[in-house]
Amino acid sequence: MPDAVHSNQGSNKPFPFITKPVAPEDEAALRESLKRCSPSTFEAAIQFRKTGNPEHLPAVVIGVIERFVEPDLRTKLKDADDDLRLIEDLGIDSLTMMEIVILVEDVLQMSINNDELRNLRTVGDVKTFIDCKVRGLPLPKPTKFLPIEHIAATMPVQPPFLFLNEASVSSSGANAKYKISGQEFFLQGHFKDNPVMPASIMLEALGQLAVLFLLEGLTPEPGKAVNPQMIFFTGCEGVRAHRVCKPGDILTLSIKPKRMKMPLATFEGAIRVGQEKAVIAEEITLTFGFMEVPAQPAAVNGAAQAGQPVNGEAAQPTTLRVAASA
Amino acid sequence: MPRVFITGIGFITSIGNDAATVSASLRELRHGMELYPPFQKPEIPVKVAAPVKDFQIDSNDPEDWKFPARYTIKREILRGMAPHGVFAWCAMQQAIEDARLTEADWSNPHTGLYAASGGSPQLMGYMLHRMHTQGVMRCSPLGIVASISGTVNFNLVAHFRIKGSSCGFSSACASSSHALGYAYDDLVLGRQKRMFVVGAEDGNVDSILPFAGMRALSLQRDPALASRPFDAARDGFVGTGGAVVLVLETEDEVARRGARVYCEFTGWGQASDGHNVAISHPEGLGLQAAIELALRSSGTAPEEVDYINAHATSTPIGDVSELRAMKKIFRIPAARPAISSTKALTGHGLSLAGAMESAFCALAIREGFMPGSAHITRPDPECDGLNIIRSTLPAQPQVVLNNSSGFGGANVSLVFRRAG
Repeated sequence: MPDAVHSNQGSNKPFPFITKPVAPEDEAALRESLKRCSPSTFEAAIQFRKTGNPEHLPAVVIGVIERFVEPDLRTKLKDADDDLRLIEDLGIDSLTMMEIVILVEDVLQMSINNDELRNLRTVGDVKTFIDCKVRGLPLPKPTKFLPIEHIAATMPVQPPFLFLNEASVSSSGANAKYKISGQEFFLQGHFKDNPVMPASIMLEALGQLAVLFLLEGLTPEPGKAVNPQMIFFTGCEGVRAHRVCKPGDILTLSIKPKRMKMPLATFEGAIRVGQEKAVIAEEITLTFGFMEVPAQPAAVNGAAQAGQPVNGEAAQPTTLRVAASA
Repeated sequence: MPRVFITGIGFITSIGNDAATVSASLRELRHGMELYPPFQKPEIPVKVAAPVKDFQIDSNDPEDWKFPARYTIKREILRGMAPHGVFAWCAMQQAIEDARLTEADWSNPHTGLYAASGGSPQLMGYMLHRMHTQGVMRCSPLGIVASISGTVNFNLVAHFRIKGSSCGFSSACASSSHALGYAYDDLVLGRQKRMFVVGAEDGNVDSILPFAGMRALSLQRDPALASRPFDAARDGFVGTGGAVVLVLETEDEVARRGARVYCEFTGWGQASDGHNVAISHPEGLGLQAAIELALRSSGTAPEEVDYINAHATSTPIGDVSELRAMKKIFRIPAARPAISSTKALTGHGLSLAGAMESAFCALAIREGFMPGSAHITRPDPECDGLNIIRSTLPAQPQVVLNNSSGFGGANVSLVFRRAG
């Protein structure tokens, strides 16, 4: 089961509320550290200090990130989903990321090492990471960024019927892009002198992304792996097409797991072109099965994982490389 | 050999934050000294400094800093800057506007930047204290970039997208004169077409007070008496900070752009005392050699020199060395240039001094005046035979010399000439 489920189980347990007083000088130091953050950030931090309750962590983390984001980009953070990317969407460079980490370390009285930092790509990554650190849980798999070579090597589906150019997979879902090139064989007939991406193929693309999630995003129990030969489509519901997509359009696909119960995995999926909705699928359900593999203990240990480059150099952010030019 | 001209200047100084104010202060001998609030404690015997006005940059947190509204600097840029980085940024903006440069003019492989600063002792101290008390990994990620002595060139070169030569110069109080000299060489050798030269210093408690230990600072309590180079009763220098940026361009660039020039920069010389780490040679031998080389390299006869902006910082030993050096060269009656030390007005800017005073020379040549040597009540007897001017002369100098001397006995002399 995905690691995200572990942490949910963690938060379902009633948290032992032991309130401990915070010394006035510590409170003053905390207020000073957070003086440029919103008042609610300080409130959440002081509550966390007093109770140790991790429920307060997201407000602290988002508050700290917000303080370092340029004012005109802060609105993005207001109703951010966890897929909001730190570098691409919020303009946070690797040095700012270090400033965020130093402040979080200071406020939460924890230490974060460089290898751990390198894997944090999205707001969701940061929240999950801090949550796991505080609860002492193993860290989830970091978001993996997969180039086309890796996708083609992993997937049972192959060109010319593979509709993912690049993808990112985390424990909470997957995102991908596909550019309609105009060379797709079926566009010759769909339609006559009017190439339009078939909605059925777009649904297929979402299904392929769900397959990729099963293969790359799940962490089954040791000794097992999802068998690529055993994943099949079983059904979908609530499918609506909102926009005609044509050659040149870049489809942005995303899927999130909704239910996961052997042998069925149900996802919600969406395709956008820029900001426009193209296709929504409320449910896409796949069937899957496991196969036996030699156990790899590293797969459940976040810290050990962080040390290995997951997907080659392309997947490595520039974090913490600045000192090289000193 | 291409000729080199000064085409733009920016000033953030104790006597003014723009060329017009600085020029008026120099003519009217208005000084920038005050009883500096951070010094007004019983345990600090030094009372006077010459801080830059209209900037509040005492905090260790750049986000607390306040500066005039005409300058905007983003947080992500400020976080890697020392206080004098802000001065330098503002002076750079002025110099660019003054020279009427576009980004295409300066962001190219033919334009470089040389800078001089002593770094930021305050930020360095803060960062090291934080490292020792909070842990090694809690230092600000840009603490080093903001505090070590290359901070001005790091910041300006990156943020103004300079593509040509860049480096920092470190010869203490001769630093920015060295920067000017080597910038001149780059232009003359055809390596660059345009050079920015920057001198900058924090000018705060941590950059000034350590000089008290070597008894180099004036203990005067009267701001109008503390800095008085060449006066018999002088007792040390007054610290200052700020930044000055000069734009140097080759004659081809001046012609291509139709640039307005301040003056020509015709040559320079340097020589070292080889004598003492902190005390200048009693006879000024190194400075004498530097002046002779500067005159020779610029093809200038001693009797052509109309005005000398002296290094004289108002210390008992240093001023005498310089007087003796000048007397050996400018001794014949026909060659008695007007001499003054503008440090009587500004205080001593350390790494900033050479660039600041060269910019004063450029203003003096273009606007036609020679600033007086203020605050002299009774001249040092060593001044005999030299023409120390105690008030401003309303005459245009044709040839001007600017002297600088730094720790280790490094001496630099620069020669400027009216364009035309």
